[in-house]
Amino acid sequence: MEELLARTLATEATGLPERKHGTPGRHAKGFFTDTTVCIGCKACEVACKEWNQLPDDGLYFTGMSYDNTVDLGASTWRHVSFVERPVPLGGQETMQGFSWLLMSDVCKHCQRAGCLENCPTGAIVRTEFDSVYVQPDICNGCGYCIVGCPFGVIDRREEDGRAWKCTLCYDRLKEDMTPACAKACPTDSIQFGDLDDLKERARRRVGELHDRGVTEAYLYGVDEANQPGTEGLNAFFLLVDKPEVYNLPPDPVVPTKKAPEACASMAASAVAMAVAAFAVVFGGRSR
Amino acid sequence: MSLREGDGPGPSPHERGSPNRGEGRNIDPLRGLLEGEGAQQAVPIERAGSEGSVPFEVWPLPASADGQAREDPSYYDRPVLKEPVWKWYVPAYFFCGGAAGAAAALGAVAQLADREGLHGLITRARWVAALGGAAGTALLIEDLGKPRRFFNMLRVFRPSSPMNLGSWILSTLGPAAAGSAVFSSPGGVTGGLGDLSGMVAGVAGLPLSGYTAVLLSNTAVPVWQQTRKALPPLFVASAMSAAASLLQLTELSNEEERIVRRFAILAAAGDLAAEVAVERSAAQIERVARPLHEGTSGLLLKVAKACTAASLVVNLLPGRRRLKRGLAGLLGTVGSIAVKFGITEAGKASAADPRATFHHQRAGLGGAEATGRPAVTAP
Repeated sequence: MEELLARTLATEATGLPERKHGTPGRHAKGFFTDTTVCIGCKACEVACKEWNQLPDDGLYFTGMSYDNTVDLGASTWRHVSFVERPVPLGGQETMQGFSWLLMSDVCKHCQRAGCLENCPTGAIVRTEFDSVYVQPDICNGCGYCIVGCPFGVIDRREEDGRAWKCTLCYDRLKEDMTPACAKACPTDSIQFGDLDDLKERARRRVGELHDRGVTEAYLYGVDEANQPGTEGLNAFFLLVDKPEVYNLPPDPVVPTKKAPEACASMAASAVAMAVAAFAVVFGGRSR
Repeated sequence: MSLREGDGPGPSPHERGSPNRGEGRNIDPLRGLLEGEGAQQAVPIERAGSEGSVPFEVWPLPASADGQAREDPSYYDRPVLKEPVWKWYVPAYFFCGGAAGAAAALGAVAQLADREGLHGLITRARWVAALGGAAGTALLIEDLGKPRRFFNMLRVFRPSSPMNLGSWILSTLGPAAAGSAVFSSPGGVTGGLGDLSGMVAGVAGLPLSGYTAVLLSNTAVPVWQQTRKALPPLFVASAMSAAASLLQLTELSNEEERIVRRFAILAAAGDLAAEVAVERSAAQIERVARPLHEGTSGLLLKVAKACTAASLVVNLLPGRRRLKRGLAGLLGTVGSIAVKFGITEAGKASAADPRATFHHQRAGLGGAEATGRPAVTAP
C-alpha cells in the first residue's frame, strides 16, 4: 500500500507514469484472457483485422480442428487455438472423456520484452499504457525482434519488409476506448482494463473455478513471481492444462537476461585473439 | 487516404474486377479510409498461391489423437517460435565481418611491430579488412526489409541490443579500414593517417570478430541460447581462420608467410576446440542438439569441421610451396564459411522444432536458469 502511494505521488509530481522494469506504471493496461469461457467464435480475430485494417493472410484449410489461422503473425494479431482433448475437464463427466480447450492468443506485452530490448533502431517502444508498440515509420525490418520474442509473436511480412504485431489498439486507447478484440468478445473471455484490477479479478476467478472442481486452473504470466523470466505479462492467461498444449513456452525468458555470459565469453575470446596476434607477430622472429 | 500507384482516376479496383480489392482487406481504397494501425502493411500484388492447401506440412494425426502425446504435448507440432527471417546475406556477413575484424587486428599488431619486412602483410591485412567491412555492410543493408532505412540503426545507442552495438562497431571499422588501406604507403601525412586508421580498425576488429555470436545467442532460439558461452570463441576463432586463410591466398614474403601460417594454425585449433564445446553445451538436451548433427545444418557443420581440420593438417606439414599455402587457405576459407552457414541453419531448424523449446525450458534451462525460479505452469 505504501509503495502504491509513493508511486502515485511520484507520478503526480512529474505528470508522467513512473515505470521501471518489473513495476508496471499507474496507467498500465492489459488483457486477462480467461480460456475457460472462450467459445472459439473468433470474433476477436475478425474485430482485430477489421479495426486495424489488416490484410488477409491467405485462405487455407489446415485440418487442425477449427483452427485455420494457425498462428500469430505480421497480419494476425489475435489467434484462437483449438485443442480437442481426450480427457474431461475437472469436475465434469462426459461419455467418452473429452474437453475443448480454446484460447485467444495475443502479444503478451511482456514487462521485459525481448523484441523491445533487441530492437537496434528504437522502433519498438514502451507506451504510456505500458504496452509494447512498433513504430512502422522507424522499423527498418532487420528481423532481430523476431528471434528475440520467446512467444513467437512478432513477425515480418515479406512484401512489406517491416515487423508487425498487436499494438494493444494504441489508437483506441488514446481515445479511451477498449481494444477491438476485448470489445467484440461475447463471453468476456478477453477482459481489458487496469492491470492491477485484472490481476485481482483473475485470482478471484481461479478461486471460483477451484471451488467448482476445476482444480487444474492456474494463471500463466500474471506477475513477476509467476513468470520470473519475463517478469510478468501485461496480457496474461488463465489455463487449465500445460502451457505446451496451447503452444505457449513453459518457462520463457527474455534473452537479455542471459546476455552477460555471452558477452563475457566474447570479451575473453577477443583478448585471446589479440594475444594470438601478438604471439605470431613478435614470437620467434629469428630465422 | 493512401492510394497506390495506378489507383488514380479511373475505375476503382473493384470495378475493374481486380481480385485485390483493398489488397486483401476488402476495402475499396476510393471509398473507405485506410487509416488503421495495419493499413499501410503492404501485401503481394499477385494473390495466387494464397488459397487452398496450407503452405506447410499438415499435422499427420486426427485431432482427437492429441491425447497420445499427453506427456510430451505440442500444438499440432506447429513451431512455438518464429523462424529467423534472415536470408543468406546474414551468414555471409558473419564471414565477411569476422574476417575483416580479425584481419584488422592482425594488421594493427603487425603495424606495432614496426618492421620493414612486414609492409606487405600490413597492406594486405588492411585490404582484407576494408573489403570485408564494405562487403559485410552491403550484405547487411541488403538483408533489411527496408534497406533505405539502414541508417536508423544509428539513431539510438542501445546496449541491450547486440545488433545496435554491432552497427556502431561496423561503422567504426568500415571507414577506418578503408582509410588505412588507401593510405597504406608508409611515411608522410597520409602514411600517418593510414597508421592511425589501422589502429582504430584493429581495436574495432576485436569486438567485430565475435559480437555476432552474442547477437545469435541473445535470442529465444534454443540451440543459440544454449550455446551462448561456446559460440563466441567459435566465431572469433573462425574469424581468425578466415582472415589468415584469405591472407594465405595472397603473395607474402617468407617471414609474413610464417606469421600468417602460425595465426592460421592457432585459429584452426581454436575453431575445432570451440566446435566441440558448442556440441557439448547443446548435448544437455537431445532435442536442442539435434540440428547440430542432422539436416542441412548438420551437414554444413561436418563440412566445416573437415575443411578446418584439413587446413590445420596442411599448415602443419613442412614445406613452403605456393600450392600448399593456397590449398590451406582455400580449405580454411571454406571451413569458416561453412561454420557460419551451419550455425545459422541450425538456429532455423531449432526455432522450427517446438519440442526443442519445450524440453529446454522444462529441463530448467529457460527462465529458471537466469532467475533461479521456474515459471508457474500448474496450480
